[in-house]
Amino acid sequence: MAISDPDRGPDGSSIESRGDGGEPVEGAGTATDAEKDLPESPEAVDLAPERAWWRRYAEEHVAHLVVIVLLGLYPLIHSALVASPVGAEAVMLLPDVETMTAVLYFGLFAMSFDFISGYTGYLSFGHAVFYGTGAYFVIVAANGKLPLVPHTTPFLLLLVLGGLLATVLALVIGVVSFRLSGVYFAMVTLGVSQVVYVLVRDWGFLASNPRDGPFVVGPEGATAPIFSVGVPFVDPLNLDIGVLTGDSVVLGPLSLGSTEVSFYMVGLVVLVCYFALQRLVHSPFGRVLIAIRENEERARAIGYDTFRYKLAAFAVSGFFAAVAGGLFAGFRRSASPDNAFFFLVTGDALLAAIIGGFGTLAGPLFGRLLDETVREFLSKEGAGGGLLPYLRDTLPESVLTTDIAGLTVQGAIETFLNGHASLYIGLVFVAFVLFVPGGLLGSVRERLGGPIAKQVAARIRGED
Amino acid sequence: MSAIVPTLLAELATLPLVSYIDTLGQFLRPSTLVGVFVRGLSKSAIYVMIASGLTLVFGLMGVLNFAHGSLTMIGAYLGGLVMVLAVTGASGTVSRFAFFLVAVLVVFGALSALGGVIEVGLIRPLYDRPPIYQILLTFGVTLVLDELVRIVTLFYGLQPISEWQAALGTKPEPLTATIRLGSTTVSGLALFEILFGVVTVAAVWAFLTRTRYGLVVRAGSEDSEMTEALGIDVRRVFTTVFALGTGIAGIAGALLMWDPVWGASVPLAAETLLPAFVVVIVGGLGTFRGTVVAALIVGMIDAVTTWWFVNAVEFTGLPEMFIFLILVVTLIVRPQGLFGVAEVGGH
Repeated sequence: MAISDPDRGPDGSSIESRGDGGEPVEGAGTATDAEKDLPESPEAVDLAPERAWWRRYAEEHVAHLVVIVLLGLYPLIHSALVASPVGAEAVMLLPDVETMTAVLYFGLFAMSFDFISGYTGYLSFGHAVFYGTGAYFVIVAANGKLPLVPHTTPFLLLLVLGGLLATVLALVIGVVSFRLSGVYFAMVTLGVSQVVYVLVRDWGFLASNPRDGPFVVGPEGATAPIFSVGVPFVDPLNLDIGVLTGDSVVLGPLSLGSTEVSFYMVGLVVLVCYFALQRLVHSPFGRVLIAIRENEERARAIGYDTFRYKLAAFAVSGFFAAVAGGLFAGFRRSASPDNAFFFLVTGDALLAAIIGGFGTLAGPLFGRLLDETVREFLSKEGAGGGLLPYLRDTLPESVLTTDIAGLTVQGAIETFLNGHASLYIGLVFVAFVLFVPGGLLGSVRERLGGPIAKQVAARIRGED
Repeated sequence: MSAIVPTLLAELATLPLVSYIDTLGQFLRPSTLVGVFVRGLSKSAIYVMIASGLTLVFGLMGVLNFAHGSLTMIGAYLGGLVMVLAVTGASGTVSRFAFFLVAVLVVFGALSALGGVIEVGLIRPLYDRPPIYQILLTFGVTLVLDELVRIVTLFYGLQPISEWQAALGTKPEPLTATIRLGSTTVSGLALFEILFGVVTVAAVWAFLTRTRYGLVVRAGSEDSEMTEALGIDVRRVFTTVFALGTGIAGIAGALLMWDPVWGASVPLAAETLLPAFVVVIVGGLGTFRGTVVAALIVGMIDAVTTWWFVNAVEFTGLPEMFIFLILVVTLIVRPQGLFGVAEVGGH
């Protein structure tokens, strides 16, 4: 099978033979003892039932914790590096915190896309319709245009309501489209999303200029609501998000600007959603989804009503896609048909999912991180740092204007690099499809013989 | 959803339904109908041209080529380039048509070569993978091709998102004129497009039914394993048909570069890809006859809804929305398409 997910079944032999070779990370002597007790890492959980559940749980989340801590420290590391002597290089290479926030919410969208497409194998090419629904729901509700939903509704509630709307939409689309499979499924979802795209683009109810999309302006005569993440209705437990509207927080020596606060708050929601999705993927429900991907007929033959499973997965996926869209709208305070509903938005999620790892849930986040980093590095205006502003600042004028075959250095960069990140991302994407079908995370898993979190947990147990 | 419905109903109530009935009377006048019919035919001709390459490739190889629109777009730019280089202000009608013929041949040759390279280099390694991988790959190819064209056009000082005006200006004089048909007028370009579409359909039809190679292609579409067992190198047929399909996509682009509604621009890729998908799927993936019929249906509906949006309904997206609605309704009612074989629906 092209999509490799070694934890889907006990593929013990290959894992064991790899283990005998000795991983360079572990000491060879201690590893052999441990491996006698735990021959198959994915089954390790069952072989150690005496361990308290909370301890097993903690062990299995060490890898998650590392990623979360790294992401959590990112704004601090970024600002420290920018202030350091290599500041100019840091600004050039590293994505700024605003971009990282975009990575988080779009990463969630890509994960929700992966949840349906990567796990069941049904390519949902119209997934942007859910993302756009979530985004538009938040803004239109905040503008007081929806009856029964006051414009002062807490942001988190709006996210959930938008998600439920998308769930209903997903059920409607799913009932129709899951009668088909493969290319046909991709096409019918694409068709529906394009119908909605055209409708949204030309429907004056949604925005004063529907082609540009709605902005958060609040209802007439009232101030525009400010979105905050926290415990609803308890003001001190909320922090506002948005680049211009967000809160600033001073914690002892740390002072966080509105962008940093938004990053953490959006990240919090994304984290909760990720764990919810991760829970589902590792539940019996998630196993059935993988069974559908690997061999739907067989899954049906052993008694699973695959249609219902697919529909449920699609609904869940639509819900989280809408939450991601809501976060996007809450952070940017605007959305447009082209960055929320157009089929190329789905294409971006596809890109992130394939590069990060199709069918690996967390992978799309890393895929998006790569995508956004390259885009910012090659951005046209050099917004948030990038190659050209860096060279402009550091290289002497004479180098920039040197002629190479009729083009100056600056001209060459402007022609071939800046604003053309799609070209290089596209090449990377094609290379991944051809040579690394598992994506970044999928390949790491294949090497380790299972999901990273479980492998880390097994290592920890092995060292006991 | 329930929250929006009352507002929707309120909006509907304000629509001038009475005036719609007037407009219907106006629409049913013979002169209007003839005009809409001719415009529908010209749209159908365009749709059949952008879709037939796609359907040939899908029918034989089961590859849904997402890069098809990009190839049409490249064809438009390449055709425009030949015309802009060749045509001067002094060129007469006959020489402009002759140059266009040269442009079509150049585009066909270049795009076929490009298609051959893409098939051999990129798609061939994926035949034994699940079909969605071919969608993924060709989607990636689209990104790369579009961005490459954007780089080239920007480098030469063209605006990639708007139509290439210089290429539009190379039209021979009769195509810019309007021709009276009874009491309505149609543009010369529309008639030229119909002619061009008919010739293309006839050529593909003849190729499929009257040549030995076409026989092999049809056999391969029916059952590629059996064809291979009979001693035919199906892989080479795959490459040829893919090259042929991209060549036709390119020719369609060369024609569109003259049409002010489309024109040579980078967004042309997405603008042609999506309707081409609709036509191919409505007709039944892989059947050429279905594609021709579906192109006629979609073209007619496009013309009718365009007339309505121009004359009565203030909703610019009306034609586009109807095109995608046709797709959705077809897939719900008859998933295999109008002429598709039932089992193909399970691809």
